[in-house]
Amino acid sequence: MKTLKYIFFASVILSMTACDKKNDNLIAPIVENDFPQILLLADEGDGELEDEDKFSFKITLADRKDPEGNELGGKIIPLEQDATVNFEVSDTKGFDAISSYILDAKAFYEIDDCTSSEDADIDLNMVFDARTGKGSVTFPKGVEEIEIEFETEASLFDDDVFNEEERGLEIKLSSVNAPGQNVVVNSSNVFEYRVLDDEGIYGEYELDIDDASQFQNYINLFGLVNEEVKGLSADDVEEIKIEFQYGELKALVVLKQTIQVSECGETETVNREIEIEADLEELEGDSLKGDLELVGEIEDDKGASKEFVYKGSFEVVSGALTLVLQGEFDDDETEEITLALSK
Amino acid sequence: MNLKALLFCVPILFLAAMAFGQRAIVKGKITGQQSKEPLTGATVLLSGTNNSTITNLNGEYQFYVNSGNVNLTVRYLGFRDTTLTVNLKGGELKVLNVALSGRQQKLSDVTITGYTQGQAKALNQQKNADNIKNIIAADQIGRFPDPNAAEALQRVPGVNIERDQGEGRYVSVRGLAPQFTNTSINGEQIPSPEADVRFVALDAIPSDQLASIEVTKALTPDLDGDAIGGSINLITRTPQSSIPEISGSFGGGYNNLMGKSNLQGQLQYGQRFGKDEKLGLLLNSNYYHNDLGSDNVERSVADNELELRDYELTRTRLGLSSSLDYKFNNHHEIYLKGLYSRFTDREFRRAYVFAPEDEEIVKATKDRFESQSVISVNAGAKHTFKKFFLDYEAQYSYGEQNTPYDNEAEFIAGISSNIDFSNSRYPAFQAADYTNNSLYEFDAVGFGKTLAKDKNLTAKFNIGLPYKLGDNDGLIKFGAKARSKDKSYRIQQNTVENLGGVPTLDAFEEDPVKDEFFSGRYELGRPLNVTSLIGYYNANPGQFELQVEDKAIDEALESYTANEDVVAGYLMARQQIKKLMVLGGVRYEYTRVKYNSSDVVINEAGDLEDILPVSGSSTYDFILPQLHFKYELSKFSNLRAALTWSYARPNFSEIIPAQEINREDNVATVGNADLMPVSAINYDLMFERYFGSVGIVSAGLFHKKLDDFIYRRVLFNTSYPLTGPAAVTGIDVVQVQNGNAAQVTGLEFAFQRRLTLIPALKAFSLYLNYTYTHSKANIQSREATESDSNVQEEIRLPGQSANVGNASLGYEGKKLSLRTSINFSDKFLSEVGGSKAEDIYVKSRLQLDASASYALNKKIRLFTEVLNITNQPLQLYQGNKSQTIQREMYSFWTRFGVKFNL
Repeated sequence: MKTLKYIFFASVILSMTACDKKNDNLIAPIVENDFPQILLLADEGDGELEDEDKFSFKITLADRKDPEGNELGGKIIPLEQDATVNFEVSDTKGFDAISSYILDAKAFYEIDDCTSSEDADIDLNMVFDARTGKGSVTFPKGVEEIEIEFETEASLFDDDVFNEEERGLEIKLSSVNAPGQNVVVNSSNVFEYRVLDDEGIYGEYELDIDDASQFQNYINLFGLVNEEVKGLSADDVEEIKIEFQYGELKALVVLKQTIQVSECGETETVNREIEIEADLEELEGDSLKGDLELVGEIEDDKGASKEFVYKGSFEVVSGALTLVLQGEFDDDETEEITLALSK
Repeated sequence: MNLKALLFCVPILFLAAMAFGQRAIVKGKITGQQSKEPLTGATVLLSGTNNSTITNLNGEYQFYVNSGNVNLTVRYLGFRDTTLTVNLKGGELKVLNVALSGRQQKLSDVTITGYTQGQAKALNQQKNADNIKNIIAADQIGRFPDPNAAEALQRVPGVNIERDQGEGRYVSVRGLAPQFTNTSINGEQIPSPEADVRFVALDAIPSDQLASIEVTKALTPDLDGDAIGGSINLITRTPQSSIPEISGSFGGGYNNLMGKSNLQGQLQYGQRFGKDEKLGLLLNSNYYHNDLGSDNVERSVADNELELRDYELTRTRLGLSSSLDYKFNNHHEIYLKGLYSRFTDREFRRAYVFAPEDEEIVKATKDRFESQSVISVNAGAKHTFKKFFLDYEAQYSYGEQNTPYDNEAEFIAGISSNIDFSNSRYPAFQAADYTNNSLYEFDAVGFGKTLAKDKNLTAKFNIGLPYKLGDNDGLIKFGAKARSKDKSYRIQQNTVENLGGVPTLDAFEEDPVKDEFFSGRYELGRPLNVTSLIGYYNANPGQFELQVEDKAIDEALESYTANEDVVAGYLMARQQIKKLMVLGGVRYEYTRVKYNSSDVVINEAGDLEDILPVSGSSTYDFILPQLHFKYELSKFSNLRAALTWSYARPNFSEIIPAQEINREDNVATVGNADLMPVSAINYDLMFERYFGSVGIVSAGLFHKKLDDFIYRRVLFNTSYPLTGPAAVTGIDVVQVQNGNAAQVTGLEFAFQRRLTLIPALKAFSLYLNYTYTHSKANIQSREATESDSNVQEEIRLPGQSANVGNASLGYEGKKLSLRTSINFSDKFLSEVGGSKAEDIYVKSRLQLDASASYALNKKIRLFTEVLNITNQPLQLYQGNKSQTIQREMYSFWTRFGVKFNL
């Protein structure tokens, strides 16, 4: 009887211990080293003017934790073996047959600032079928990013009229083949290539620096965010350009002052430039007039960033662009200022 | 040597020099004649004198007396005094076991069983203790519906508890926050399983595991000195006799809010073996499974946000304890005691955050599992020699908080909303189509994992030298202790955001966990199922982007390792001078601490610039004189006074040198490894009047003067680091520092007795206690500016409730017992904000519980308990009472079942 009591007692203790589990309906997430390398499109989109005969997109790897702890914000850890990435043109706008626009394709990557894989005769096994829009390319081991460049038929879209309908195409990564490696692709994201109409706002414009009031307007407008621009006189300036690109604006002052620039072993004398860049947050690019908003950041000496905003409207008439903008930066703001620009 | 130490040591050394006479030893066990239960706290008195000794938890006593014919009187509340004569030769040890009979003439028709028996044990110990303490015995705990140690402690005068999801968790004693109280198991401190604090979440310890709980409010030199509020000792059970004792309980329960049942069970076996019962073994196990939840609404004043939180929890408590002892003979015994407790908590939090300023509504779900485990093993021995006694013990204890997963996902909808807090109980909102999950886009999911470890290795010894001074007994006692603590915290955090392609929330929704939220006042729609999202994440990792920088910051900032070595020694003497007992002595404690953690530097652009390893160390020591007086006004009345010195070590979160230098915001938050403990001088005065029929009325005053009070300080426009060459200038540094004084003054009142004076109510008992406290502390004014940074401001101490009390009315019939209990705690400051308007208070709360039991026979009893009958919420407010920032409702829950003692 006594023994029975003890057995009963021991059984109860064991059964109580067994009850201590409360992890029902749980799936453990894949983290740390089990989290795969991700191949993805480097950019969401790009655009070139309609007379351009090529465009490109890039495939890269997502940042990971630096195992050596040097890059605290993470860095790209290259693959240890070559992988084959498949991609496809997933949509077209303004045309039907991909082969009517894309003539050829090639792939390369940057070895250093002056050398590409093409220079070193490295073949990335680029295959592209213009009839189906599908292709594949080798993403080599040890490489952080590759670029795929398409040769295009410029005459397909190059005309002298303003096109209100959108023209371009979309590209997606579809899969990856990386035997023995934990690598996946992001197949959801899309690279959007847009053909930019040079009869609209896109393209490069020039400001007449001999027009004193226009020159002063430029100084007043962009001097808000750049002390050097604020102090310029017309005598210092060779030319002023404003360029509307895919998703961004570049305001460029080319000074008369020259400097020596060395690049890839060659040195040349060039005019010094002051460049202000801003993202096009709002732009009705498919019309000849409308509203626009520009947002950019200025970094101070200590590395801190501050945002500036320009809001206003634009109108394109026979290649002439009129911008009416008001700027805000660091508790200062400008009046509404008009710039008259021409191509 | 310090003057105050000298003052206390010299008289003790003088006493030690006194010659010892021809002495003998009487020892034995006092039990109840009917119940055969050991009588804890009984007085064994040398008749005609005030010299006495007290029985321990097992009813055992040991008395050094002069040889010859000795008359001993045994006294115990609720029992008749019993006098016996024993003849002792010089150097002889005689065993005298006594079985006391009940106080029949006063308690006719009333049996001292159950609650009264527990109350008697507790009050006898309390009455005969040398210092001011409160004791609650297992039988007493069992009569209140208190499933864990924290809730059992809420019935003690001067004790307030902080709750989590309606269940008691942290204990504050005498108006001081939990970090001012230390917690021990079987007399030795246990480590905290939590990462950043020292205090122990007592909801991890099931009350069924305990034989009794002691709350010492005035320290004696043989106790650890790091307890300003009080010292809590949880005492586990021990085997009593050769008759096997098998007792336990099984039951279930119901949580009204969740509509779910709960389950509990306890089983204990204890027996002494052998002809002379030399070997004792006790095993105790218990398990409690509780499905609970809460409906919660929160307000963020600064961000103008409203949050609805639907909590669903499953908590389990598993307790295993054992005691093994062997008595070689009447002089020598050894023991081994073990305790293991494991508390698990699976929490789902399904929430909406309405953010009108951002024109966003966030829908989130958190799924977190956490376990807290405590292991404690004590091995020791007790030796009784002719002239002295010796005990020594080694302890290994380990606490761990393991969070293997803490997964939290958020989806955001760009829906505008209006929120209205004019009804502070039920804030209102308008938001179109907010339950439409197809409008919510994936924002982020975090996968957290943490492990906090705390290990103590302790060794100690005590030596007692009884002596006689004239006709009065005395005792000199000294001892030493060494403890080494290793604490660490590791964190792994992976947060991923949308790299592109993650579907909207409707792809991951699930059925609601309950029909109504806040009785149907708010509609929550179909919640987010995190597990479903994780399944999608695992299948499509290419759509998720790891936040590498956040991972580096989180993991570096919170991880640390620490080592703390403590060496202590004490010398004390207890002297009976007729009716006056004087106990005095001094304790010395030396502490050396070392810490390792990381500096996290955020640059001006807001990016992580660097993570640098840092370490810190410090040493400090304390000389702690303690002086106690107890004057026996009558057989049942004591007047007590105490003057004691104590201290409280800082929380680990305050002292580890982890630092975050944010150059973007120009603020640095810096740990302070040089932070000194808070020291205190404590003054106590207490009057107690006990009732022979088991009861007490007591009143006490206390005052605590705290020095080096710890507070958060902002050093404006300073350099970083604070010492040495400046790496950064013109930065505001926030650091916890010492410097300011604080004080707590209070009044305690307690009454408990059977209402035997009124014949019709003789089966009823009343249990009342009330504590009033007042506190003030000076801190750097929250209005302080760079040019005016030394301006001071007076605040009350965080955690201090002005009014705390209990009222309980019980009926104890022969078979049926009923009890209804009220616990009240006044509002208290929970968090010191950046300004007075940002101070956060917990509102006052009154909880009503009831319990009943019915004895089927002497061995089996049915019981039932109902908790939080009036559905009292947890409520917090910010700045002023009308600005409620959190309201959490639990409804009531019950437990019922059968208890047996075979």
